[in-house]
Formats: sequence, C-alpha cells, structure tokens
Amino acid sequence: MEICMPVRRVTSGLIIAAVFAWSPLFAQTTDNDFFEAKIRPVLAQKCYGCHNSKMVAPKAALVLDTREGLAKGGVSGPALVPGKPEESRLLKVLSYADPLVQMPPSGKLPESVLADFEQWIARGAADPRTSASAAAASPQYKGMSLEQGRQWWAFQPLAAVRVAETPTATFTAWPKTKIDRFVLDKLQSRKLDPSPQADRRTLVTRAYVDLLGYKPSYEEVQQFLNDRSPSAYEKLIDRLLVSPHYGERWARHWMDVARYGDDNSTSEATNPPYPFAWRYRDWMIEALNADVPYDRFIKLQLAADLMPSATRDELRALGYLGAAPMYHHDLRLSGDVIGGFLTDDWDERIDAVSRGVLGISMGCARCHDHKFDPITQKDYYALMGVFASTVRVERPTFPVDPKIERRYLWLQRQLFDMAYSVNLLGNEGTTFTDGAEKAVKWKAEVASLKAEATTLLAKYPQLVQSLEKFWNPPRRIVPPPAPAAAAAPAPAAPRSPGAAPEPPAASATAALTPASAALAPAALAPGAVPTPAAPVPPPPAARDRVLSSSDPFVNAVFEAAQYVDASDPSYTFIVYKPGEARNMPLLKAGNYAAPGAIVPRGFPAVLSKGDTAFQQGSGRLELADRIFTDAPGLAARVIVNRVWGWHFGRPLVTTPSDFGTQGDKPTHPELLDDLAARFVEHGWSLKWLNKEIMLSAVYQQSSKPRPDALQADEANALLWRQNPRRLDIEAYRDTLVRSAGVLDEQIGGLPGDLDSDTYFRRAIYGRVSRARAAQVLALYDFPEATQTAPDRDVTITTLQQIFLMNSAFIQNLAETAAKAAATATGDAEQIAMLYRRILARDPTATEMRAAIEYLQKGTLARYAQVLLATNEEIFLP
Amino acid sequence: MSLKLTRRQMIEALGGGVGVVGLAGLFASISRSELHAAGLGNYAGPRLPAKAKHVIMLYMNGGPSQLDMFDPKPALFKYAGQRPSAVDLRTERTTGGLLPSPFEFKRYGRNGVQVSELLPQLASVIDEICVIRSMYTFNPTHTPGRALFHTGSVLATRPSMGSWITYGLGTENENLPAFVALGNAAGGGPQNRSGFLPTEYQGVGFAVADPDPEKIIPNLRNKNVDPAGQRTDMDALLQLNQNYSASFGTDRFLEGRIKSMESAYRMQFEALDLFDIRKEPEHIREEYGTGAFGNGCLLARRLVEAGVRYINVDYPGGQIWDDHRDVNDNLRKRCPDMDQAAAALIRDLKRRGLLDETLVVWGGEFGRTPVSESGSGRDHNPYGFTMFVAGGGFRGGIAYGNTDEFGFKAEQNRVSMHDLHATLLNQLGMDHTKLTYRYAGRDFRLTDVFGEVVKDILA
Repeated sequence: MEICMPVRRVTSGLIIAAVFAWSPLFAQTTDNDFFEAKIRPVLAQKCYGCHNSKMVAPKAALVLDTREGLAKGGVSGPALVPGKPEESRLLKVLSYADPLVQMPPSGKLPESVLADFEQWIARGAADPRTSASAAAASPQYKGMSLEQGRQWWAFQPLAAVRVAETPTATFTAWPKTKIDRFVLDKLQSRKLDPSPQADRRTLVTRAYVDLLGYKPSYEEVQQFLNDRSPSAYEKLIDRLLVSPHYGERWARHWMDVARYGDDNSTSEATNPPYPFAWRYRDWMIEALNADVPYDRFIKLQLAADLMPSATRDELRALGYLGAAPMYHHDLRLSGDVIGGFLTDDWDERIDAVSRGVLGISMGCARCHDHKFDPITQKDYYALMGVFASTVRVERPTFPVDPKIERRYLWLQRQLFDMAYSVNLLGNEGTTFTDGAEKAVKWKAEVASLKAEATTLLAKYPQLVQSLEKFWNPPRRIVPPPAPAAAAAPAPAAPRSPGAAPEPPAASATAALTPASAALAPAALAPGAVPTPAAPVPPPPAARDRVLSSSDPFVNAVFEAAQYVDASDPSYTFIVYKPGEARNMPLLKAGNYAAPGAIVPRGFPAVLSKGDTAFQQGSGRLELADRIFTDAPGLAARVIVNRVWGWHFGRPLVTTPSDFGTQGDKPTHPELLDDLAARFVEHGWSLKWLNKEIMLSAVYQQSSKPRPDALQADEANALLWRQNPRRLDIEAYRDTLVRSAGVLDEQIGGLPGDLDSDTYFRRAIYGRVSRARAAQVLALYDFPEATQTAPDRDVTITTLQQIFLMNSAFIQNLAETAAKAAATATGDAEQIAMLYRRILARDPTATEMRAAIEYLQKGTLARYAQVLLATNEEIFLP
Repeated sequence: MSLKLTRRQMIEALGGGVGVVGLAGLFASISRSELHAAGLGNYAGPRLPAKAKHVIMLYMNGGPSQLDMFDPKPALFKYAGQRPSAVDLRTERTTGGLLPSPFEFKRYGRNGVQVSELLPQLASVIDEICVIRSMYTFNPTHTPGRALFHTGSVLATRPSMGSWITYGLGTENENLPAFVALGNAAGGGPQNRSGFLPTEYQGVGFAVADPDPEKIIPNLRNKNVDPAGQRTDMDALLQLNQNYSASFGTDRFLEGRIKSMESAYRMQFEALDLFDIRKEPEHIREEYGTGAFGNGCLLARRLVEAGVRYINVDYPGGQIWDDHRDVNDNLRKRCPDMDQAAAALIRDLKRRGLLDETLVVWGGEFGRTPVSESGSGRDHNPYGFTMFVAGGGFRGGIAYGNTDEFGFKAEQNRVSMHDLHATLLNQLGMDHTKLTYRYAGRDFRLTDVFGEVVKDILA
C-alpha cells in the first residue's frame, strides 16, 4: 500500500485536473448536488456504521464519512479511481462482484443506486464534504440525547404492520402466511424469486431438529411421508410442539443467552460450583414445554421470590441469578479490591439482562456515558443498585416461614464467610495481624451463629443440617506420605503447604485435570479446604454429590443489601443486610475506590415511561415488570429476532444482543415489527411463534443454492431460500447417539460427563463447566458460559474430523449400530438397515452396490462409522 | 449459513492460492506476504514493520521470585529482619521483616546483566535476553492476576493474548491450530481462552508430560484399523459426501468439510511425526532436558517451525511458583530444569535462525515480596517484578528498569502488563490500539484503554 499510494495520488490528480479542464463551473456544482442527493445519503445510511472516522478501528481501515477517508481507501487499497467505475473497488464491492467482500452486508443495494454510484464515479467522484460537515453528517455517533434515543427504531412501540397486496401475479399462490408477504415484497423489489418448497423429507427433518433437537428416525420420516392429508405438515408441527422433548431443545437455546453453567470459571472457596444449577435447567425445560408466556418466563428468572403469583417450585428459575458466573473474593484483600470484585459480579448481571433480554449493551456505561447509545452512567449505576441488593444463596425447595427463611438465608451467608475466615486462621501457613485475637473473636461468632441457627431452625432439621458443615467442618484430607516426599525435607508437592488456604482450584490449571477436579467437593464447604496436593481423589460418588447435589435446595437469591466492611485494615468482611436495599454511588471510571454521587435504583431513562426510580426492596421485581410495561416493544423484538435466528440460522438483526446504534439494523424491519406485535398479541407464546414461523412459505423453502440468487445475495439476507445449516453440537451428538439406537430420552436430573464414551443421555444434560467445557462441546463451537452468548460460530477444523475418525465414542456408536444391523440376513439387508438407522432412509441402488463392494474390504461396523461421519448426518438442508 | 471460511477456502476463494495450499506439504508454511494478500488476519490497522511472527510464552504459574533470580538487592542484607516503612505495602497475606536472598548474583554478557546462581544456563545466553525488572500489575491474587497477565483484564471472560494475536495475524498453517497451549491439556483458563473472539481463535490444549504424540493428541491414531484400511473408509466417505454435494448443490460448508476430512486423514500421520519430540537427536533432547517443561519447550520450537503462531508453555505443576514458604529450597529444586529448557530454547532458535522472528516471553502473574511470610516464604507482589523477552527484535543483554531499594515496587521505567502487551503486538507488526474487535456495542482491545509501546527495549 505504501508503494501504491503516491502512484494513485498522481493518477487521481491527473483525472481531477482533466475534469476541471473541460467542465464548466456549473457542472461541478451539479456533481456536488448529485453527491449530496444520491451518494451521501447512501453512504451515511449504509456505510458510516462501520466506516467512520470516530472509530478506533474502522472496518478494513476504510473511512467513508470524510472526503479524505474516501480518497485514501482502506486495507485493500484505494476505494475509488475517479472517472473509472470499472476499476473502482467501491463499486465492485457494492455490486457484490467480489466473492469475499460484499457490502453492505445487510443486502445488495438496488440496481438504481448502483447506477448512481457508477455515474458518480464516471463523472469524477465529486466529494464536496469538508471535515466539519462530515462530522455533522453522522451525528448519531457522538452519542445520543434522551430525545433522540427515544426515536431509535428498536425502542418504538409495536403495532401490526399492514402489508401491501403482492403486486406480482407470478407468486400470488406462494405466500402462506403474513410473514411471506413481507419477504416476497422485498424479494420482488430486488427482482429475486423465492425458492420452491423443500421436499417432504427435508421438511420433516427440519421440524424435528428445530422443535426437538435431533433428526427423525426412519420410522418417523415414513410416518410423515405416508400422511397424504393436506394438513399433514401442520399436524406434524402440532405433534412436535407438545412433545416433552421440545423443552430440551428450546431450553438449550435459552441457556446460551442465560450463560447457564454448573460451576464457576475458577470455582474457588468463595465461588464454588453450583450443585443445584441443574434444577434451574430442568425448570427451563418444563416452563418451555408448558409454553409459559415469555414475559413471565423472564420475570420468574429475575424475581420469582418476589412475585405473589409464583409457586415455591418456581424458585428454581432464580438460577439465572443464583448460579450466575462470579469471582472468588479472598477476604484477606483490601476493601477496595473486594469492592472491585463485587462490582465485577454485579456488572455481569447488568450485562446479562441488558444484552440478553433487552438487546442493548450497557457495559460501556460502567466507566462513562455510552458513546453511541442513549445510555448514561447514571442508568448503569441505577441498575447496579438492584444487584447490590440481591444476594446469592441456596434456598430450600420446601416451604419455610418467610421470616425464618430470611434469617436462615442471612445465617447461611454469614456462616459461610465466618467459616471461610476461621479456616484461613487455622492454617499454619498463614499469618495474620492480631491472629490470636481474631481466632477467639471469630470462633465465638461462629458459635453464637450456631446457637442461633439451631434454636431458630428447630422446626426445620434439613435447614440445620445444611449449615452443619460451617461449624463442624469435615476433616481435612491429609496427603499420605509419598515415598519420595519422606526423603526430601519439603515434599515436592505441586504447591507449598503455605499455599493451602488457597482453595484447590485457585490454580485454574490444576482444577482441570480429572484428579484435581475430584478435589472440588471440598471447595463446597468453605471451612474444609483440602491440601491441594492430596493425591487420592475421593470416590466418584462423593465427587458427584458435591459438584451437583439432589438435596432439596436451589441456587437462588434473596433480598439483602451488600456492603464492604474495610474497618479492619488487615481483613475485609462483606456485610449482608436482609430486607434492605442499597443505592450505588456512581463510580468514576468504574473505579470502586472513586465513588461519586449516589444513584437511586431505577430503570434506564430512555426506556422509561415516567419516573425511573424503583421503590420496593432491591427493585428486582420492578425491573422485571418494567421490561414488559415500559419496553415491551424492545423485549419482544429481541426474543422474536432470536427465535427467528434459531429457525433460520441467521436472525433478522444479525447482532441479536445489540439493537443499539452499533448493532445491525433488521434486514426486514416491518416483518420484525409485525411478528413481534402479533407475538405480544398472542400472549408472548413462544410455541405460537414457532408455529407461525414454521408454517410460512419462507421457512419451508428449499435451501438449495441457485446461481442467480447467490450472485445477487450470497448472504441470503433477502431470504430467497431457507439457510442450509450445520447441526449444533447438541443436535449433532443427540442425532449420532439416536442413530445408534442408544439415546436415553429420560428428561431432567443431575448432570453427567459428555466426554464419557458411554454417556448416552441428551447433550443438554452434560455438565456445563465454566472452567472447562467438555471437549466435545469445545470442539464444536459451544459458547463460553462466562457471559451471555449472542450466537454461535460455525467452524470446520481438522480436530473435529479426527474425533469422528478415531474416537472411542464414535467407534462405540458404530459398533452398536452395526450389531443391530447384523441381525438382518445378507449384506443387502444389513446395509439397508444401517442406512435406515443412521441416515433415516433407504440406500439408492448405486449406494447399495458401493456398500456391498466395500464389505469385501471393510466391516459393517466401519461402514456404520462412515455413515455417521457423513456430511449428510451433520448437515441440515 | 453464518459460516466461517476455513483458511484453505479463503485462499481458494481468492483464486490463485489453490496451488500454494494444494502443492505445499501439510506443514509447509505459506509466506507472510501471501497470507496478507489473502487477508487471512483480521488486523485492519496500519501494518507496522513486523519483526516477529511467532510467540512462545513460558508461563511460570504462581509468581516466581524476582529477588532470587534477576533483581539483586543488597539492602535486604543490611535490613534483614527489619521492616522499614517503605515496605508497608498491602499484599495478600500478613508479612514480616525483610528476607535476603541467599543466592549469589554475577554479571554476565556484554553489558554485565546480573543473574543469580540459580540460572546459570540463562546467564549463558543473557546477550539474547531483555530482562525487564520494572514490571508491575494491578491485582495481588492469582486468578485475577493470571487473567491480567494473559488477557489484559482481571475478568474471567476476556480473550487471551494468543487469541488476539491469531485473530489479528491469522495462521501460517491451516492444518494446525494457530494457537496452542502446552501443558494445559484440559483447556480452559486465561491461557487459552478466546472469550468473545470467534471460537476458531481458542488455544488448543495439549499435555506434554509424556512425549508420546498419541498421549499428546487424543484420538490421533485409529485403534481399530490400519492406515490402508482407514483409507478405504475415507474413500467410501468421500464418495458419499461427493454424491451428497452433487444432489444438494454447491455449498461452502459441504465443500469445506470434505477437504477438512482429507486434511485430517493426512494430519494423523504428519502430527504423529511433528509432535514426536523423541525424533529429535539425543543431544538436542539432552540440551532441553527430558522433563515436562523441557518437552514443552522443545515441542514449542517444532511447532514454530511448522507455522504455529502462538504457543503457551506452562511450567508443569499448576500454581507451583507460589512460594509462600521455603522459597529458597523450592527454587533450588525447581530452577534447574526451567533454566535448562528455557535457555536451550533460546539457543536452539538462534541456531536455526528463528529467534529473530520468534518472541520468547518468560514470567508469572506477579513477583514476590522482599518481606518474608511465615519466616521462609514470600508473599505475592504485584507492585514490582521481573519478566524477560528474548528474540523478536527486543534488545538482548540488557536489564531494563528498576525496583526500589528493596525490590518491592517498580520505580524507574515502569512497565505495566498492558505496556508489555502493546510492545509485543508492536513487534508482530500491529498497533495495539488498532487490533480491535467489535463486541457488545464497542471495540475491545487486548490493552483495554491502556498500554504504551516501550521503545527503549527494542533493538
């Protein structure tokens, strides 16, 4: 590029000189007007978002909102050769003539606009902008005022949108639902035709994967193919929607957004694994099966404990907050450091709710007013107060007198922290300022808390039992003297004994090996931190009991304000005040040590109808309510867009967790609005939405490539076909296991190990570790569960193929499938049986010949493995 | 379909690249200019003159003691056992008086850089090494400190430097992971985390304690069938996949996966070779040492030769440099194999002409206090500690920056983790303020809003 630049400058200089030489002045003015009328609005609307001079790193280093930027070009070189449209990269990219770079990504510009660009470049690419006016042309990137913000498309109230009668006669019969008319309208305006309906086998496969999360068996396909009634497809959808396996598919989708996990990324003493998170997962499955309205589905996850209409059983939903990712709080650290950790935790909740539910990013406002969106730092700390008044606890599944429960929950937290602290004291490797005094004082406090708990909770023995570990810590695991260690003065343990108070997983790496993962149980009881070197893992039963437990508790939250007590310069305590709420100070640059003015708890101003402030308790219930009273349009658009993406592999807004100015705009805004409005009208029913989408002609289109359409719209932004998809890892693993005939379809329960060669339950039941995802999940783009995930990547790697070629897991499945097929007589029958089991169809004559020929050299089991590894198995056309 | 193209597909889609990939051996590297021409990296800022292409991070988990290795402090003897007010800095634990280092320091190399007797091998290559004695970080505990070291943030969510660098520069060998974490087989943690970056930039973890490649890469060998038999199976699979493509039509995913299958088939055998450090001459293995760390360093060199972009090598044993007690005895036991392997790696890269294009970085999440803990140990010290960088255009044979009189706090020419990250990216040809990723409504950076390139330590 350095070499190109001077040459180009000379060229364009010559051309501009040439233009001046023959153009009268008025022609120049006309060219400028042409730019203002035809070119600049398009650049502003379609390009500035990613290519503007205010950005630290504009995409492709190309800046289009200044004259200088446009003249300079980007990483691929000059954008323009004035006078030569055919040599101008800008036009090539806009025309979608470059297979790799096609702009704008939301869809090709209309031919008439492209013609304008061509004409503009041909006439010398006049650009009258000055630097000042360039900035003025993109005011939205300097942040938004509240008033401007309220005009933002995603925040507008919803209303059903009228759609014009389809003007063309060609496809009058094509639309099946209202959705189709929006899509057809847009396709026709770009002179594209929709694709024909997919074949029936494809339709039934799509329906099974989209609603149940695995491909149908041969028999299930046949059942549909044999139903010749006109309503066969609708009946299929209805049948699958009431299957109890529907919830397993749709809970897993939501779990990406809810960043579901069974533990923490470090799982140390104060942020141990969540033994009851699985109950939250099971609640999601049941709630989605029951088609709990989406607004209630969200409210329960935020505030089930505060909703008069919620049942005790629905406390499980609080896992959304109670099993949220969090950090270890080593109380030996200073108050500012602990305060910093707490605000990190609360920040995570704000991020999960704002991006996951509201589709806006508030994280930026932790340090300063949002630079692009109408979110202020005040809005941010108004929400932080809600989470600073919400404390993570394990709550009983059985009913308890509310007053007693509240005190119990406080006791649980207080005992946890005290037992953790006493344990630190007791460790010989740790010295403390005033250690002896502290020992006396803290032990006395534990004793007093114990006395209170045993009296208060006399009627609830299970609650007392749940606290016993705090005053009666299980004995430490003492490492047996290793032979080598006996000889050496200091044992060559992974860590020195002085490190013992660090809980086992303090070394993230150590926690990752199976042997040390087995040490995790002790981390659960804060008073019982084992010597990390302990080489003898507890028996598997003990390990499972502690990583996950079926004791009658849920990982949930309760109402209490949290403060940091730094009055002792050598030790920090967290103070919990049940029933109280805390307003956070605005933290300058996000720094806990630099508090500013107190911000009342409340709802983001730009979304509020009326007063922003919350009045009751933490404000959690008000937050949950106001999402749906004050911002129902946004909440509905966000979930409808997600559901669309889960049905199509590409959402209408391609940044599903960012509907702000930095996100993409919808490809079909009217369709999104209309569908969201009707979704709300239909009582926020997700099953209604599933069905409405699946009955559309758009959804039922073939996904086969069409050269003309690919040429015009390779990204399929216009929906000229259904998108061909790769199964996600859950659907793929479940389909593989089901193909072998060994899928255990039992619903719910404790999590298991997905990396086990013989774990045949559905993938949703695999343990989701934030420290270490199961290898099979990591291999296939499973999102990290440490933060809300907007979408999933689709990668192709050699390690995936190695897994299919050589792993014991696949070989076991292949052998199982082959064993079943071997019961048939003769090669042909056996081959046919394998095809039916694995690919859910009969082999063609050619395939049969090839397979029989293969059996001369290979075995039936190996052939089964070949079929399992096919593109056909992992692909969803 | 929102599909990430494989490197191969991208090159092919551009035309003309087919031959490069098709004809070159599996592990042959594609030249840097070709990569850039193909746009395989995502870095869109100005191209700085790149000195280095690869990074080997030697990670000393737990926080090694700078005072006993690189940062001699005679004042510790003078005030041994005492607690002058200058050392009243709050650390994780309660600490006692000053604890002198028993290890003798001598001057080495053309500039007389001081190195302790614990590290004779590193001392012998000190002219290749830029010792930074004025590092500092922001958090006194392991987990956040480790996250900051690898990701530039104390949070448990951000992408590691390896992910950022492979995201920015792409890979040189599409058949290998561009980012590898040795000694961290189970994955997870900031050493290999890709965070919000696409999953293809995640570090792939391999165990290296046992040098047998089949132990290093799970499922590398098919235990049911010999290579010829497997070829038969692959041919059957290829046929089925081609037929399927013929009936469906052209599709990037289908084509990409067919090619990936073929690559994987070949990779099994090539990886058996590449990952087998036992194939190195005996004297080379002896030079590195045959423990897990020696194995890791030697494999790291082989991976650099094969075009892997970023290799993190964990010193084995988890958080082992965390010497709250018995620091002297522990260092006597632990330093020899670390010293031997790290020095052998630098020497070996130099011999092969690879040191110029490889950054070898050494360090832990923080250092240790000059004041004692429990009488014989040292507590965590984020205020001042030592790291070193060899190769990749860093100035060798210098000790940069200084801590205070007692080695507690970095005082002169302070270098933060963000500064070091910025400087490493600079040597890889990237402006750290321009290596960004749009996520959750804003552009994120490895260096957040911090970081200055430390020009004085660059050649």
